Amino acid sequence: MELVLTLILLPIIASILLLMLPNQRAQYVVITAVLFLLGLGAFSLYTSMGVLTFQLSHTMNGAIVAADVVLLLFFLYQGRVFNHPKVMALAALQLVLYGYIESIVPEAGSAEIVVDSLSKFMFLIINGVGGIIVLYSVKYMEDEPTSPLKKRLFVGGLLVFLSVMNLIVIANSILLFFFLFEMTTLASYLLIAFRDDEVSRANALKALWMNQIGGVVILLGALVAIIGFKSVMFDTLLQSSGGMILLAVALLSMAALVKGASIPFEGWLLGAMVAPTPVSAMLHSATMVKIAPYLILKLAPALAVSMVGGIISIIGALVFVAASYLALSRSVLKEILGYSTVALLGLMMALAAIGTQESINLALALMLFHALSKALLFLSAGVLERLHHAKDIEDMKGMVTRSPKTVGFILFGFVSLTLPPFGLFMGKLFAITSIASLLKEHPSNLIILLSLIVGSALMVLLYFKVASALLSAPCDVEVSEAIAIPSGFNVPLVLLSFFIVIGALGYIMMQQNIFVVLLALPMLFVFALPSLIRRMDRYDRSQPYHCGEKEPFDAALVYFESSVKVQRILYWGFGSLFVAVAIVGALS
Amino acid sequence: MIWVWIALAPILGGLVYGGERVLRARMQRRQGPPLLQPFYDMFKLLDKRTLIVHAPHALLAVAHFFVLWFTIAAIFLGWNLLYIIFLHLFAQLLLIVAGYSVRSVYSHIGSNRELLMVVAYEPILILVAVGLYLVSGSFEISQILKMDGYLTQLPLLFAALLMIVPIKVKKSPFDVGEAHQEIVGGVEIEYSGVFYEFLYMSRFLEYIFIYSFVYLFGGESHWLGAVLVAGVFLLVNLVDNATARVRPAQMVKIIYTVAMALAVLNLAGVLL
Amino acid sequence: MKFFTSFRKKSPWVLHYNAGSCNGCDIEILAALGPKFDLERFGVINTGNPKQSDIFLVTGPVTYRSRERLVELYSQIPEPKVVVAVGSCTATGGVFRGMYNVEDGIDRYIPVDVYVPGCAASPQLIIDALVKGLEVLEAKSKEIEKPFKLFGAIETIHNKLSRLGMAKKVEPHAKD
Repeated sequence: MELVLTLILLPIIASILLLMLPNQRAQYVVITAVLFLLGLGAFSLYTSMGVLTFQLSHTMNGAIVAADVVLLLFFLYQGRVFNHPKVMALAALQLVLYGYIESIVPEAGSAEIVVDSLSKFMFLIINGVGGIIVLYSVKYMEDEPTSPLKKRLFVGGLLVFLSVMNLIVIANSILLFFFLFEMTTLASYLLIAFRDDEVSRANALKALWMNQIGGVVILLGALVAIIGFKSVMFDTLLQSSGGMILLAVALLSMAALVKGASIPFEGWLLGAMVAPTPVSAMLHSATMVKIAPYLILKLAPALAVSMVGGIISIIGALVFVAASYLALSRSVLKEILGYSTVALLGLMMALAAIGTQESINLALALMLFHALSKALLFLSAGVLERLHHAKDIEDMKGMVTRSPKTVGFILFGFVSLTLPPFGLFMGKLFAITSIASLLKEHPSNLIILLSLIVGSALMVLLYFKVASALLSAPCDVEVSEAIAIPSGFNVPLVLLSFFIVIGALGYIMMQQNIFVVLLALPMLFVFALPSLIRRMDRYDRSQPYHCGEKEPFDAALVYFESSVKVQRILYWGFGSLFVAVAIVGALS
Repeated sequence: MIWVWIALAPILGGLVYGGERVLRARMQRRQGPPLLQPFYDMFKLLDKRTLIVHAPHALLAVAHFFVLWFTIAAIFLGWNLLYIIFLHLFAQLLLIVAGYSVRSVYSHIGSNRELLMVVAYEPILILVAVGLYLVSGSFEISQILKMDGYLTQLPLLFAALLMIVPIKVKKSPFDVGEAHQEIVGGVEIEYSGVFYEFLYMSRFLEYIFIYSFVYLFGGESHWLGAVLVAGVFLLVNLVDNATARVRPAQMVKIIYTVAMALAVLNLAGVLL
Repeated sequence: MKFFTSFRKKSPWVLHYNAGSCNGCDIEILAALGPKFDLERFGVINTGNPKQSDIFLVTGPVTYRSRERLVELYSQIPEPKVVVAVGSCTATGGVFRGMYNVEDGIDRYIPVDVYVPGCAASPQLIIDALVKGLEVLEAKSKEIEKPFKLFGAIETIHNKLSRLGMAKKVEPHAKD
């Protein structure tokens, strides 16, 4: 229990320390120490056995209720200040619901805080990847045109966010979960609006109102749970049976769909890309949005054999295809990464909702490896943005000559998402095997299988399209000297790549299957290639062939522009599927 | 014994390619080159001065060939079909990255098209694997070859596979990746001498790769497998001689509508 | 090696370039490649790509616009290589001789191994010339052969590439 408490309190202490330390070197020392301790704590918790429980005292519960009301009032106030009726209406609705629930809430039957193996796994992702991103953000914020205090507040805020995340994965009470859910919404809102221009503000408000829909459905779920089972605890809810349970679970899963930015809610996550890159990496890719698959995984025992689980997994799988397809029309690197995050979150939710032991393990593996790879990609995108002021992939043509190392990291990130023997690829491969073995009993899984296959193919196109932009250069490009990456950026990137490789090795060793290990051979061969480059000096060089022409040229990238009609069909389709979750929950 | 076959795989593929050139010539009522022509070409390429654009570009072609050979070895050893498909994808992506890494517009367009081809055929290949799995209960090739009756249970899936064979062996109407008159060979364009030879040989291996999928539909009976391969070989060349090239986007559209629908219909039929 | 050298004449791959021809000879070349004359029985492939070719089939008198391309294509064919000049224009300028925009024949720019007469050259003659070219090809060594003139434009590309570290060892070409 002390370890868990450390994980929660240490980031807060560290952020207070950071505010008092103006010296960058001292900041690095503090953050490195905290990162080390957090990682160690998370790892030793992960290897420890048993379930820890903890009962909150009355005063603590009272404080949480008070904080929750203050939070909702703040949302209401923000809605008034910026004159945003949706934010106001949803905040008011939540206040009313929350007030009503608090008046009828039953005595806690079991502990509010439960640390089970799922929470321990989440600690590993949150503290490992999150810590590395905090380390990166110090260097990133150096060039941000804001006051020094605001910069330090930013880094401190990220640290506090870590402790919020550490809390949310051990919350057993739905109301506590709701409070922390709203806290992450708040963090998202404040950090998207960090740059405080018009676009940031508008996107922040969009994120606020969309995420509040999640809050509303959680409260509705809690209400159903109280009326039906006289309890607001996840574990009691999942152990009980009866007609109402599926409705409660369906409502809670809808919150996961909102937080996971499934279509039609993907707008808030894409809008969030205007925030500074560490925010995109931390909140909108590596940790916060992982609440979505986490929640589904938590509810998996109830979802597994039900209609609700079926429809959630179909939504997730279809989102995987649709988001990959929509991403093909985008040209801003961070938006492309955002869409692919939406897609992969959909896949994770689909696997979690299928609910067999195998698919749950796969969802966990995908979560871990996705967090690592996406953090690497986002941080590299941040490096390109800072050093080369390039956000659009059309501006990144020939980046390989200007920043070879960063391009190397990005390519490695793409490879780790698509090719053997890296974790994410293995996850997809085993997912195909696992779903195919379920086909006979549940033919409806054919939809999931098809989406998985087509979505993966589209993702390959997506990633290697970006790679083509990075590698290719028009002939007439003005060549500038390559800029070296400062170590403040380099160290986090190297750490992430190291963990991707270690993770992949660990994952294939875990399979106990000689053939899977052999799959790694070609990659080893490719990694050995650079040693041969010196030997190539004996061959003559020649310039590329352009049919004898010498005019500058520029090969276009592949884009698939989806028409307005298709988009409208997608939005209406997914919108009605989203509503259908609640209806199916109510009916069954 | 099996290792000998693996070692001889490029030669086997070369014979298939040579035979195909003869067959196409006979279809156009001409004499055509000798059967061993691909090997003459290979020996000649060894005797040419080698020009490269830059070292990684050339090395990626070598890597492409060896990964492809590894894939073929996996097929002969009877591995999991899904692993084989993804190893092949890996080989293909190496070539695509190589194509992007030189400043030649044809190479870039070739790589773009190569990517579209991957997007087109990859799902169908996996669906074929899943179909074979549904009938035989295993993804392992060695297990699949012990069962029977794929053709009767999966006729539409076989038709879908037929549609992607021309993509893989770069034949009309889906030879967009090579597109000789348009983009002068696509990704192959910047290679010469020894390094082009690796690409030339990997084309032989592509033949073995895709035709072994056709062979799998024969199941236990080797004769049926051989007849299927021969029939598909004839058919593909006949279609190649009789049709024009489609545009890359059209190719993706045709495969995603017609072939995908056939495959899914067949799978749904097996399941229900 | 002797063994591999004997295969040069079994697989001549052809690059065809039109240096301002009237298209008469080009049609004849296509006819030679087509089913009737069937050049493929000698193993000929029309590659369209200098880097994989052995025989350079040039038609037409060299026009001002085409001479740089002619030289660049020639320098991109790896040795051993053979140039076959198809048609009278390629040899002397033919009917275009003396015109303001035309050079008289390609041998001002690149060394020619076989000349084919005729306006237009007939397919039979082209096949004969190819066979003659194969004899030359077999006798050639792998020494670098240079064009007679090199234009500035090519060199700027060379320089740019070498600045990128992409072309470390650019072949020194003769300057005019």
